Amino acid sequence: MVVRVSRFACVLVEHFDAAAIERCEPALRERPLAVLNPRVDRPHDGASTARIMTTVEANAAAREHGVRPGMTETEARARCPMLLTRPWVEEYVASAHHALLEAALAVSPRVEDGGAGTAYIDTAGLERLIGDAAAIGRRLVHQVRAIGLIPRIGLAASRAAARMTAVNGPGAVTIIPPGRERATLAKVAITTLDLAPDVAVTLGRWGVRTLGELAALPREGLAARLGPAGLRAHDLALGLDRDPFRPWTPPPFWEEAQGLEWEIDSLGVLAGVLETVLERLCRRLTAVSLVADSLEVRLGLASGGHHARDVALAYPMSEVKPMLTLAVLDLEAHPPPAAVTRVTISAHPIRTLAGQGGLWQPPAPALRDLVTVLARLAALVGAGKLGSPVLVDSHRSDAFTMFAFSPPSDSAASIEPRNGAGASAGLRLALRRIRPARRVEVETIGERPVRVEARLVVASAGPWRASGEWWDVQAWARDEWDVVLGDGALCRIARDRLAGHWYLDGFYD
Amino acid sequence: MGGRLTPIRGEITEIVGGLSSGRTSHLLACLGEAVGRGETAALVDTEEIFDPASAAEAGIDLRRLLWVRCSGNREVALRAADMLVRCPGFALVALDLGERVPRLPTTMAFRLKFAVRRTDVALLIVGRRRLTGSSAALAVETLREGIEWAGPGPAPTRLARVRTTTRVLRALRGAPGQEPSSWWCA
Repeated sequence: MVVRVSRFACVLVEHFDAAAIERCEPALRERPLAVLNPRVDRPHDGASTARIMTTVEANAAAREHGVRPGMTETEARARCPMLLTRPWVEEYVASAHHALLEAALAVSPRVEDGGAGTAYIDTAGLERLIGDAAAIGRRLVHQVRAIGLIPRIGLAASRAAARMTAVNGPGAVTIIPPGRERATLAKVAITTLDLAPDVAVTLGRWGVRTLGELAALPREGLAARLGPAGLRAHDLALGLDRDPFRPWTPPPFWEEAQGLEWEIDSLGVLAGVLETVLERLCRRLTAVSLVADSLEVRLGLASGGHHARDVALAYPMSEVKPMLTLAVLDLEAHPPPAAVTRVTISAHPIRTLAGQGGLWQPPAPALRDLVTVLARLAALVGAGKLGSPVLVDSHRSDAFTMFAFSPPSDSAASIEPRNGAGASAGLRLALRRIRPARRVEVETIGERPVRVEARLVVASAGPWRASGEWWDVQAWARDEWDVVLGDGALCRIARDRLAGHWYLDGFYD
Repeated sequence: MGGRLTPIRGEITEIVGGLSSGRTSHLLACLGEAVGRGETAALVDTEEIFDPASAAEAGIDLRRLLWVRCSGNREVALRAADMLVRCPGFALVALDLGERVPRLPTTMAFRLKFAVRRTDVALLIVGRRRLTGSSAALAVETLREGIEWAGPGPAPTRLARVRTTTRVLRALRGAPGQEPSSWWCA
C-alpha cells in the first residue's frame, strides 16, 4: 500500500508592494525604497482636510535604516535621508502577484493563492519530475527570479508550516523534514502567526511567546477560553492545516486578434476581418459552453493610435452573426479616425443557464433576432424613433412617451378572453394624427366652424372642452370639434383658447 | 371577414382607401387582434400618424407593439418593413405608407412575399393605393358609408360612430366582392 504524504511549498516575496515596484524598476533594488500612499486626516475642529503621505511598505534596504510601514514620509526621510519614494499603484501589485502565481504554476499544476506575495504549491509527486525537496525549492527560486522577484521558499508537510519556514528560514530555501514540524517551529516567535488582535493580546498576557509554548498548551483549555480562534492558533502552532486546498487557475484570455498586411479604410472590408476574428472567439466560447455579454473591439490605426469601442450585447450570446452586426453598427456610428491595420476583439464571458418558454406562450421573436433587428432599425431611423409608446397620465392631446421595446414574457393576455372580440360593437374608430398639429384658418359662425382652409364644413359636432396644467406655465385649454369637410374628410380640429389659433389634429380614419 | 379583416400569416395583405374610409381603424383592429393573443406586432409608420390613445382605447397592449417612426421617408419605411418581416416571431408587421404610396419594383414585392412566407409573418400594408400587385394574397378597399352624431340637443356635440364597408379587390381564396358593414365607435 502506497501512503501519499502531503508536501507543500510556500513561495513568499517579502515586502511585496516594494518588490512589485522594484520589478518594474530594477535599479531601485539595492537602494532604500518606500512606497507611499496618501492618508486623509479630517480634523474635528472643522479645518480643511490634510493629505499626509504615509509609508505603506519599505524594502529591506530602507528597513535597515529604520523605515517601517505606517511612518509619515517626513519621519521616514528623517531616518533615511537617501530614501527613494514611489506612489502605491494597484496595477503594479496585481500584475506582480499574477506573475508570481503563474511562475509557481510552471512548477506544479496545483497552486493556491495565499494573498499578495504568497503562493502555496502542492509538491506531492514532483519528486519524480524534478527531484528531491531541495531541487523543487531551487526550481521555484529560479522560476520566481525569472519574473523579477526575489522569493523565500519553505517546504513542509503543511501550508502553515511551509509559510512559517519561509518567513523564518535562514536561507532562500528552507526544508523541514517530515515529522519535524513541531520541533522546528518551536522556537519561532508567535508574532509570525496571523492571529486576531484580541487572541494575540490574550496569549501575550499569558506569557506565550513562541509557537512551542503555544503548542504545549492544553487544547481543551484553549477551546474553552478562546473558542475557535484559539483552536486555530493551536493548529497553526502545531503546523496543521484544517482549511481545504483551493487550487488557483489562471483567468482565461478571451481575446483574438488579427494583424493586417494592408490598411483598411472601408467598413465593409473591415466587417470581413471582424467576422473572421469573431468566429475564432466564438468557437472558443462555445467549446467551453460560455457566452459573452460584452465585447471590446480595439482597432490599431495606421496613424499609430488606437480606436477602442465597448460593444454591449443586449443579452449573452456566442453567435457570430448578431455579434458582428452589433459591432459593425457601433463602428458605423463611431468610425475609426484613420485606416485600420490591426483588429483585436476581447470578450467578457459568463455562464448562462438555458430557460424554457411556457407551454401556452405564443411564439415571439428570439432574443438574438430581436436585438439584431432593433439595432439595425435604430441605425436606420434613429434610436429615438423606435420603441413602445406609453401614454402619459395627462388629458393633454397626444401626450405619450417612448420606451425601449421589450415585450413582456408572460402570456396572460393570451389566455384571457378579450371583451367584445369579434363583435362589431367593440370596434373603435382610429384617429390618424398629424404631427405636429397643423395650424389652419377656420371661419366660424358664433363658435361653430363653417369653413376650414376655405373648405366647406358639411357637418360638425362640438365643442369638447378640455384644459389642464392651469397651475403651471405649461397651461393649456382647447375646444375640440369633429367636422366633416366638403370632400368627405372627417377630421378633428381644435381651437387653442389661450392663443385663439385653430389646429388640425388629424383625420378619423 | 364579417366586418373584421384578418391578415393571413405568411402572406401580404393590403388595405387601401381614402381619408376617413376606415383603413386606419382596420389597421388598429388587426394590431389589437395580434397582441390580444399575446403575440408581438410591429408598426412601421411612414408619416407618424399612429395615435397611441386610439390604440389604447382599442384595447391594444402597447408593450407588445414595436412602433417604428420613419419621419415621412418612404424608402426608409420600406427598408424597415423588409428587416422586420425577416425576423421570425412577429405575428404581424404593419406598414402604413400614408397618402403617397411609392412605386415598388416587382422584384422588391416578390422579395417581401417570399420573406413573409419563410418567416410566417403576416404583412399588412395600408395606403391610398395598392403597392405589391399580384404578390398580395388579399387586397381590400375600405369605404365609408355613414356617420352618426350624438348630443343632447338639436346640434350634435360629439361624433358617435362611423359605418364602413370593405370591398375585396383581390383574394387568392374566394371571389372578390362586397363585405358586410361594420360600425366603428368614436
